[in-house]
Amino acid sequence: MDALDKAIDVQNLTVGYGSKVLLQNLNFSVANGEIFVILGGSGCGKSSLLKNLFGLYEPLAGDVLIEGQNITSARGAERQKIMTSFGVMYQQGALFGSMNLLDNVTLFMEEYTQLTRDQMNLLARCKLDLVGLLPYETYMPSEISGGMQKRAAIARAMALDPKILFLDEPSAGLDPITSADLDSTILDLSKNLGFTFVIVSHELASIYSIADKVIMLDKDAKGIIAEGDPKTLRDTSKDPRVHQFFNRIMSKDAA
Amino acid sequence: MAPVAVWSQADASHAQVSLSGAVNVYSLAGVWTDIREKQRLWLGQGNAQSHSLVFDASKVRSLDGSAFAFLIDVQEAQQKAGGQFAIQGLDPKYQPLLHEFDPINNLFPVPTPKPKSSFVVSVGMAAQDLIEDARGLVSFVGHLSADLAWSIRHIKQVRWGDFVNAAVEAGISALPIVGLVAFLIGVILSFQAAIGMQQFGAVSFVGPLAALGIVREMGPLITAILLAGRSSAAFAAEIGTMTVNSEVDALVTGGLSPIRFLVVPRVLAGILVAPILTLFADIVSIFSSMLTMQIYGIPFINFYNGMLAAVDVEDVLSGLVKATLFGVVVSAMGCLRGMQTGTGAAAVGISATRAVVSSIVMIVLVDGIFAYISYRTGF
Repeated sequence: MDALDKAIDVQNLTVGYGSKVLLQNLNFSVANGEIFVILGGSGCGKSSLLKNLFGLYEPLAGDVLIEGQNITSARGAERQKIMTSFGVMYQQGALFGSMNLLDNVTLFMEEYTQLTRDQMNLLARCKLDLVGLLPYETYMPSEISGGMQKRAAIARAMALDPKILFLDEPSAGLDPITSADLDSTILDLSKNLGFTFVIVSHELASIYSIADKVIMLDKDAKGIIAEGDPKTLRDTSKDPRVHQFFNRIMSKDAA
Repeated sequence: MAPVAVWSQADASHAQVSLSGAVNVYSLAGVWTDIREKQRLWLGQGNAQSHSLVFDASKVRSLDGSAFAFLIDVQEAQQKAGGQFAIQGLDPKYQPLLHEFDPINNLFPVPTPKPKSSFVVSVGMAAQDLIEDARGLVSFVGHLSADLAWSIRHIKQVRWGDFVNAAVEAGISALPIVGLVAFLIGVILSFQAAIGMQQFGAVSFVGPLAALGIVREMGPLITAILLAGRSSAAFAAEIGTMTVNSEVDALVTGGLSPIRFLVVPRVLAGILVAPILTLFADIVSIFSSMLTMQIYGIPFINFYNGMLAAVDVEDVLSGLVKATLFGVVVSAMGCLRGMQTGTGAAAVGISATRAVVSSIVMIVLVDGIFAYISYRTGF
């Protein structure tokens, strides 16, 4: 894989807060159009890693390159330009509570595009339709369920048709049908529109059906303990931690 | 840079839009409006039903979601007019997305006019809100009284830790601002009075006048209004955030009374700190008034003697009793508005604002009632 094929390139990244190091010296890359899943037990730093990848937090050390541009060192307009090349869905949705769903989606379009109001509304409706929320466009975030808020947040993340989408636990808290629908939406977007996805997830069923590549993080190892195709890892990995995770074995049985 | 979509017309009833390059949300700006405008003019000529529009996508390098929105927009206009619409040369990988949004009519909702409510309806609704609010207040006062009575009987079970925190936050932390405002009010009050009184050669009466005004009215009022701005809003925001985060629900489902848990400690703190802060404000204000009167040649001792003649312990006590009532009202209103918080982050801000407004209204109300009682009983 040469540099042009890499949507995201992570070099010697150390993630943590102050003197507390969560993950040390990570090296991995995400190919264009790939669905890349970050796995690991609770508290191993998955979400923190994600926030470092899209530049919300400054890494303790190392670099993150998004489409060849270093987001860690970029400042000002350069940084803003990198920021518009990806969309982010936060774990809790993080929709703007004072706006209805349609306005939540059009907000970023208003800032970055020259489309008219009607065009933005139509585009936003398409996004809401993709996540199955078209009938709820006039609802306020507080009037819809948690799962719907997550889907609306994905619609908002897609507002500017970014090449990369970061999703923090998209299927957590969704019913199996909605979750499967979401998976197929993700697959569609990836295969047809060439979106690159970086997803933090625990849902094994969803991981098997969508992930092209996974990395598994571990709290004690402070790094990546497995990397590759999830089904292959499930069937062939000798590492007991990986084996336990993919086969849902209880801790007391594994010991 | 060449536009990503170009309009061409073979004859009156056949038109073509040629897409090329990277069609995305940025490159479509302007082009989209332009094509739609040309299409509108074209459809307006002759019989629209014979109009056939073809999209040629063979020169496209990439499409994004907005390109499909553009296609759908043009297609919808074409269908509405009864004309024909077709796409050719589209890369097969985009085909599934073409039908992702069917039926496309759903993307064009008919705008429904907002029902306008008449004046009578608005007045009725406002009146109903007022009644509901009053009902909420009455039931809150009932609950609070019951729980306060409960806490007197179960004094050990009151959450004294929360009480101390609230008292420190509302009391000790408020000392600097209360001191500053009280000092300035003392200066201003005696200055203003002295200017008038000087004309009648009655400057020596300013001291007793100012002192009486401060202990009976200004001291409690300044303190209460500062408490409303600081602590009432803080209580509302604190409890409001807990309401938004379902923490209050967690208390209820755990079988604990949120009023006993959250409101009682704060109201008790209000009862404690309001009279203490008022006494502090009284002393600072009278001292600053003494300093000011020095300028008019009234020595401390004269001021002091005049004050003793005019102000007795009863006046000070009356002010402190009033301050205690203000303390109850201010902290209770803060907590009530916090408990009434709706959902969402904006709701907390609204609650804090309502807490301050309601507190100040209640302060004035209590002050008025107290003035009437004082007048009747002489207390």
